[in-house]
Amino acid sequence: MRSGQSHAIRKRMKQARGSFGVRGMDSAWTAFDVVTQTMLQKAFDDPKTVDLEKLSNAIVDQSLKDLSFCKDAGRMCYAVVQAEAQKAATSVFRRNLLTRLQQEFTAREQTRNRSVREWVCLVTFICSIFDYIKVNNAPLVALVDPVYDCLYRLAQPDALINEEEVDCLVVQLHRVGEQLEQTNSQRMNQLFYLLRDGFLLQEDLSSMTRLLLLEILEFRASGWTLTDTAHKYYYSEVAD
Amino acid sequence: MSAHQKNRYENDYKPDENRNKGASRWSHCRKRGADGSLRKSHAIEEPGKCSQHSGRPESFTTPESEGPVSRVKNWGDEVEAEEMRSNVRNDMHRYRRRILEADFPQRERKISSGSSDSRDSRDSKESPAKGDIETDETTLIRRQKQINYGKNTLAYDRYIKEVPKHMRQPGVHPKTPNKFKKYSRRSWDQQIKLWRVKLHAWDPPAEEGSDLQQIEEIDLGEIMDFELDVECSADTESQCPTSSGKSLSLAEDSFTGTPKKMMKTEDAEMS
Repeated sequence: MRSGQSHAIRKRMKQARGSFGVRGMDSAWTAFDVVTQTMLQKAFDDPKTVDLEKLSNAIVDQSLKDLSFCKDAGRMCYAVVQAEAQKAATSVFRRNLLTRLQQEFTAREQTRNRSVREWVCLVTFICSIFDYIKVNNAPLVALVDPVYDCLYRLAQPDALINEEEVDCLVVQLHRVGEQLEQTNSQRMNQLFYLLRDGFLLQEDLSSMTRLLLLEILEFRASGWTLTDTAHKYYYSEVAD
Repeated sequence: MSAHQKNRYENDYKPDENRNKGASRWSHCRKRGADGSLRKSHAIEEPGKCSQHSGRPESFTTPESEGPVSRVKNWGDEVEAEEMRSNVRNDMHRYRRRILEADFPQRERKISSGSSDSRDSRDSKESPAKGDIETDETTLIRRQKQINYGKNTLAYDRYIKEVPKHMRQPGVHPKTPNKFKKYSRRSWDQQIKLWRVKLHAWDPPAEEGSDLQQIEEIDLGEIMDFELDVECSADTESQCPTSSGKSLSLAEDSFTGTPKKMMKTEDAEMS
């Protein structure tokens, strides 16, 4: 596969990895209109004066539209949750956020039928919340099964043929796979059976998809880390 | 038990008491109800739910119905319950450490905030040995909820601002009951009631309110002293004195009048 095509593939994988690096919140911030930005700023300073339900809805709405936003959205939400806990000793924002998230999750199949992009945003957002928002440093147990449900859906044959969905699947597994496995390893095993089957048996997959699946299979097999060999194979730049 | 009490505790008892009634968690997995009659198989549309215990099938997608179904938990509630459980566990670890420290008393020890004073174990006659603390999570969570209700009041806020811990005199100033000590249910509930009644002394002044409080305080004065003896020496099995019947009904009236703040879910550990 050493050709121009593979170079493009490896570049995309690099981007995929870069997306879960640490980035400033500035880009997320600018996605909002001025009203919401003001609300957000006030929420950090004095949570009691802000309509936190409205704020949480604004964040969720934006997340469902904007894929690059969802990755930071989790961190933003976490910051608001902390601010509210420390300054007001309440958890209104978190509760509203979770309720809204649960509604969206419940309607995910309809969302996917309507717009794959929105569905992918939803999964990214849920995983981002799972990643950032903790309760006394433990992951939110309530979200474990829903996250798995989303990933299982992405591992279905009709989803694996969409590169957009495969991309989402592997990115999320890189981000939260290890944590997820710690909370429920049996479901992770089952998920990877699906991925393995897809890789080996499904004929209509693109080469990019196969590469992504192979990478994630190896990634998990090496304990959710990238070995040197794997890094060289998947991510090194070849002088073409 | 009064009707008021019954309602308050119903939710806590539900998992244990309602097994024979229709709407339990697993009822739709059973073929027959407790009375022996065959159930309607209306739950067939969601077959995957029965297997939730053993792990869901791979391509499981729940055809959710609109509106809350008794099986589907609300994420907000679940997370808050998780938080309360882990807070209670952290409290327990802290308390255990404090008990151990009390075995090696140090002077000048700063009395930190937490669910109980270390003074508890030194001053009171029954210092709880390591095995003698309440460890049942359900009980601890229930007690913590009751404590939260009390701490969630304006009266409590005003109280802790006005009287710092080191200035508190036992008997005069209300003290949060220690949820880790072994008490009977009745004893605990009584302690909570008394604690909350005492906190009313710090209710924010309202026009008529303050006059009413004066009267209540006088009435309860005698009974309070008696109750206090019960409270201080109680560790297990202290009974509610029957003469408290009168004060109880007064207390309940004053409960409903207590100005409340927004629900605090994180116990800021102030007492």
